[in-house]
Amino acid sequence: MYFEFIDMRFLKFLFFGVTLVLLTRCNEPIDKRIAPKAKKLEGYHPLIKKESLEKNKLSEYDFFKTPMYDLNPTEQVYEYDLNTPLFSNYAFKKRFVYIPKNSKIVYKDEGVMDFENGSILIKNFYYPEDFNKPEEDKKIIETRLLIKENNRWKPLNYVWNEEQTDATINYVGKQELVNWIDLEEKKQEVSYSIPNLNQCKNCHAKGKEIVPIGPTAAQWNKKYVLPHINQNQLDFFHEKGFLKKLVEPSLRPKLPAWDDLLKPLDQRAKAYLDSNCAHCHNIEGSAKNSGLYLGYNQTDSRKRGIFKPPIAAGKGSGDFVYDIVPGSPETSILIYRMKSNDPSIRMPEIGRSIAHTEGIDLLEQYIEELVEKK
Amino acid sequence: MKKIIIGLVSAFIIVIIYKSFTPKFPEYNPERNYVDFEEQILEAFILAKDSATIELPEGHFLFSQSLSIDGKKHITIKGKGKDKTVLSFKGQTKGAEGILVTNCEFFTIEDLSIEDAAGDNLKISESKNVTIRNIRSAWTGKVSNQNGAYGIYPVLTENLVIEGCEAIGASDAGIYVGQSKNVIIKNNKAFYNVAGVESENSTAVEIFDNEIYENTGGLLIFNLPKLTRYGSDVTAHNNRIYNNNLENFGVKGSIVSGVPKGTGVIIMATQDVNFNNNMVKDHVTSNLSIVSYLVFAASEDPEGSVDQSIQDRGIRAVEADFQSDIKYNPYPGNVSINNNIFKNKFSFPTLSNEYGWLMIFKNKTLIPDVVYDGILPDGAKIQDENHKICIKENGAINFVFMDAANDFHDFSNKIDPYNCTLNL
Repeated sequence: MYFEFIDMRFLKFLFFGVTLVLLTRCNEPIDKRIAPKAKKLEGYHPLIKKESLEKNKLSEYDFFKTPMYDLNPTEQVYEYDLNTPLFSNYAFKKRFVYIPKNSKIVYKDEGVMDFENGSILIKNFYYPEDFNKPEEDKKIIETRLLIKENNRWKPLNYVWNEEQTDATINYVGKQELVNWIDLEEKKQEVSYSIPNLNQCKNCHAKGKEIVPIGPTAAQWNKKYVLPHINQNQLDFFHEKGFLKKLVEPSLRPKLPAWDDLLKPLDQRAKAYLDSNCAHCHNIEGSAKNSGLYLGYNQTDSRKRGIFKPPIAAGKGSGDFVYDIVPGSPETSILIYRMKSNDPSIRMPEIGRSIAHTEGIDLLEQYIEELVEKK
Repeated sequence: MKKIIIGLVSAFIIVIIYKSFTPKFPEYNPERNYVDFEEQILEAFILAKDSATIELPEGHFLFSQSLSIDGKKHITIKGKGKDKTVLSFKGQTKGAEGILVTNCEFFTIEDLSIEDAAGDNLKISESKNVTIRNIRSAWTGKVSNQNGAYGIYPVLTENLVIEGCEAIGASDAGIYVGQSKNVIIKNNKAFYNVAGVESENSTAVEIFDNEIYENTGGLLIFNLPKLTRYGSDVTAHNNRIYNNNLENFGVKGSIVSGVPKGTGVIIMATQDVNFNNNMVKDHVTSNLSIVSYLVFAASEDPEGSVDQSIQDRGIRAVEADFQSDIKYNPYPGNVSINNNIFKNKFSFPTLSNEYGWLMIFKNKTLIPDVVYDGILPDGAKIQDENHKICIKENGAINFVFMDAANDFHDFSNKIDPYNCTLNL
């Protein structure tokens, strides 16, 4: 009989062989994405002549009185702040504007107000040691400048030294480990990424130009930042003689503060999306091909992401179908990407490496409540 | 004794199974001793002013992020030779490209190697007057769909020369010129890629003196729908295109993943193509085919299970809805195949795709030298003014008219209707 020929041992052998074949085939895709080791080249060998006209130290601008660490502004330098700022790994930010003598800012209802050549926007990123005592000891990481020159905005970046006495110009970016104690007395740590100069345009691009994001009338429309000045910020700059063509208070747009619990939930959520997403997610921004536009005044619910399928999200969709599913934050891509810290999934793509729990809570509530309105 | 025989027979069976199930993929394994010189090179790229030359020293430099240049004029990046200056992006954690050049004018890059970027090794976008010379763009190790997409990838660029370059191991195309104008691709080598050299939606392109071998498909002259511009006027001459029989390792859903292995040249949906004085040989599916976009659209997976990751990686995917693009002409026309040498050392078509089987049943088991799918728009006729194909003075070749639109009903080897001359 033919089958006598096939004894058990033969079958076992064949089984073993086939398994071996399958195993070796499965093992084949080795991961090519692991970085090999590289020996650090000793010493510094510049490849190009650095004939930079930029100031090498932040102190050369004289923005701050000594000691610089206190960030007390000199003349012509004024502090300002925003209704709803961008989340940047829980960093605190102190913003200033340098306005040259006889220079002015022209008020605009929409978009960034007009600054004249010579104006400089100054943004300091720092972490208080204890978030419960924000005015006490802190660590300043970096100071970013946007300088208006020849009718264009030029970005520059200065990294603070260990002694916190001054900051040095930085072009290539840097990682810095930062610690703090959060509001719940817990120790926190993050690897803070200082951008390289080419990364500025990731967020600050409008077409091919670099533009500021924050100083819009809607963002500036709030009480002035210093406690002893009981005045609206727009009025403050107007009274100082800088802000021209300011309209009367009832005509001014206002972006709600995302954490102002007295404001309606949907307004707070939209304000948060405006500040954290709309610099790319607008018709001229770097996420224009996504079809998701999150400016505060966007009224088209599909463009806001409601029942909108992703266009180029790739694995960022997390296998979910829509950006926002009303009533279902857990199946909304928007929440999935806000929660992720994976560089190929997370949103925003840069500027954060840890999730913003409070922001996620707000957006989850907003999506939860969307269904009730329906 | 019996047991020994059984043992030997089983071992033989196992070897046969193993051999037939394991695609043979080639490897590129140069010796590398990486050094970290990232900060200085990054600084040079970021601070380069107009008219600067960045001279890179000898060495194998490893990067964790992309190098980019934007909006500069008259920049030259120069290494000490493609065997001496190596820029490796193996395991990079920031950015997708190796080198990314955008909005530049008069840009030259020469004499270096670029390796193992997560996405494209060298991408140049929206630039003018660009020279890419003596660059080797490679993915190391065994070829795999983990390799990046495009080796040398100028897109939306005008006045461009790619010469003396090598492209190795791209999971899409080795040298890929997209949506560009006034292009010269000369004296390059492309091997171990899914597509060797691809001209996509580009106009006024001259491709000559290239050596294109051991890819899945050799030379692709394509027009794809739903893009900002469409190409025409492509000349390819004096190229050697041979032995492009590599197993297709493209990412599922990408346009090149539909290229059957063993394809020398594909001219798809492009007008005014002059293919002359080339040598095309040794392909298991066909030496040259002239097809409409419908052939690719039809082969798209009906389940639509396109790998989502390809969109992330910026790879061209099959666009099933091409008909809604009214500016797009999916049919080839004014194509001249003239004075070429076609040869084949293979005498039996591959059984790995439907074209091979078609040739077995319809073409007396011969591998065609020139195939024309014969798909035309409604109302058009074979060889009418807008769809003329001229095939002349290529010696004794096997020509196939597939009649793919009518279930191969009028499948034919008659070449006489194509004996004509075009004024290109």
